[in-house]
Amino acid sequence: MNFLVWRLHRHQVYWAAAVLAALTILLIVTGTTMANDYHAFFNNCQATQSCSDAGSHLFRGDGSIIDLVNATVAVPLLFGLFWAAPLVAKEYEEGTHNLAWTQGVTRRHWLSTNVIWVFVAAAVWAGALTVLVSWWHAPENALSGRFNAFDIQGIVPVAYAVFAVALGLAVGSIFRRVLPAIAATLGVFIAVRVVTGVYIRPHFMAAITKILPIPFSNSGAPPGAWTLSGGLVGPNGHFYGNGINLDQVPATCRVGAFGGQGVTPNCLASRGWHQWITFQPAGRFWAFQGIEATIFVLLAIVLVAVAYRMVLRRDA
Amino acid sequence: MTPAIETVELGKRYGTTWALQDCSVQVPRGRVSALVGPNGAGKTTLLRLLVGLTSPTSGRAEVLGLAPGPSAQFLARIGYLAQEVPLYKRLSADDHLAIGAHLNVNWDASGARERLAALRVPTERPIATLSGGQRAQVPLGLALAKQPQVLLLDEPVAALDPLARREFLASLSEAVAEGDLSVILSSHLLHDLEQICDHVILLASSRTQICDDIDNVLASHRMLLGPRRTVSDTERMFNVIKATHTANQTRLLVHLDGPILDPSWEVSEVSLEEIVLAYMGMDEPVSAGQLLSLRAAS
Repeated sequence: MNFLVWRLHRHQVYWAAAVLAALTILLIVTGTTMANDYHAFFNNCQATQSCSDAGSHLFRGDGSIIDLVNATVAVPLLFGLFWAAPLVAKEYEEGTHNLAWTQGVTRRHWLSTNVIWVFVAAAVWAGALTVLVSWWHAPENALSGRFNAFDIQGIVPVAYAVFAVALGLAVGSIFRRVLPAIAATLGVFIAVRVVTGVYIRPHFMAAITKILPIPFSNSGAPPGAWTLSGGLVGPNGHFYGNGINLDQVPATCRVGAFGGQGVTPNCLASRGWHQWITFQPAGRFWAFQGIEATIFVLLAIVLVAVAYRMVLRRDA
Repeated sequence: MTPAIETVELGKRYGTTWALQDCSVQVPRGRVSALVGPNGAGKTTLLRLLVGLTSPTSGRAEVLGLAPGPSAQFLARIGYLAQEVPLYKRLSADDHLAIGAHLNVNWDASGARERLAALRVPTERPIATLSGGQRAQVPLGLALAKQPQVLLLDEPVAALDPLARREFLASLSEAVAEGDLSVILSSHLLHDLEQICDHVILLASSRTQICDDIDNVLASHRMLLGPRRTVSDTERMFNVIKATHTANQTRLLVHLDGPILDPSWEVSEVSLEEIVLAYMGMDEPVSAGQLLSLRAAS
């Protein structure tokens, strides 16, 4: 069986290896430069007292590389689209399942060998890429925290890859056609990732709310924290969100008219106003990674069960 | 000795349509059986049920005494060739043979190579680049290399030109002559089947109409030609498969269960093709019960 898997899919492995190698060279070169700049800056900034400006001095001109690194968020999806979705669907579509499933190995054996290999390959590739990206990101993590690049570091990319592969296998065995399987994998993967990232992840653990004095010169969140929301607190203790209506602040503190309306922070502060923020502290990064990875791995287990059921129980 | 194939009231329903119904056949070992019937008669369904790719809605099937299913023991004994030459288009015949060698316990690699070489099939080129005739030989080579005891072939020659068809059937006959092999071969092309088959299964209206050795089928059917008369008169005496009338003559294709005593009939033998076509043209299948009642009446 291993021979069959290798013989049919080795070109996919070659391609993936070539792409990963190219990306590795690019990231090692740029990552080393970045790390050098970072250390050089912090060795000298004490003297010029400009350490707080690190963000504006470092990582300028690396825009396209940063875009590329951020784009690796899509890599787990690619395993689902191009490795897993066609794996079973293509056999059905081209009728070769008739050949494969009437040889001396059972359908279950055939499926298990394919499933194991595609998971191993996706996990190894996603893992290698994630180690590389996490290393590349270290200077930026030190400045702005790892929560800023939550989806491309740590262990979640591997969990996403496992999920994408399970999804591709399941829809491939349901639709039995390559293109519908790819389309469904794309749609469902993006939907699940967005819903999880936007609506569920902020609530993995109860967020911390802090009331801070105005002014707004710093956001008030501890370094590296993931700020979820913020706003003003009135003297009566009422919390106002981002949608605060200017009618609600004292008239004397308003500045400008119509087009450029705003408030003067010092004025508000002197009248007993505060600001509030909610955030997830930087120390929860790994807990959040663990929770998110668990969710996607559990979803993957369900999807693999669906794929097994579809392949083994339905008529071929 | 258990028969090569035995089915009992085997049926398969897709949604509300029965693809195959009430199919009871028994094929002894060593036969080369022609599976014939019009489109949609359930030939492909029967073969897929026998090989275990589909599971029955009703009834049961046995191949060499084993229920078709996902066991290595069963899979090792059957060879199956699906309708549309299922091969990996980008791999070569050599690749397929190497894969087969890895997936099967019994694998006659040298025999398969010799057979393909004798047919001048370029085994090192991707399947996609081979001609239809060359391509069709590859799955047969693969199926035979498994050294199965039962070989099920679904329309293997449908897409082939006459020459390729002859080569395919010749290599099949050769394989049958070599060893203990039972074959079921479905096709529309009855003429080809007659040359290599010694047994026939006829499915029509999703039911089994004939399942017997061809010699017996030929011996038990006759064409009767005589003065014109209504079929209802004669139906009491014979099991009429097909009746045609001209102005003053009646022509009947009948299934016999005894000698024909009425001297007004001119009796002649019929070819397998005529018999099969007559059964396919029937609206109502002849059931075993009907046959018995006719026999009792005569």
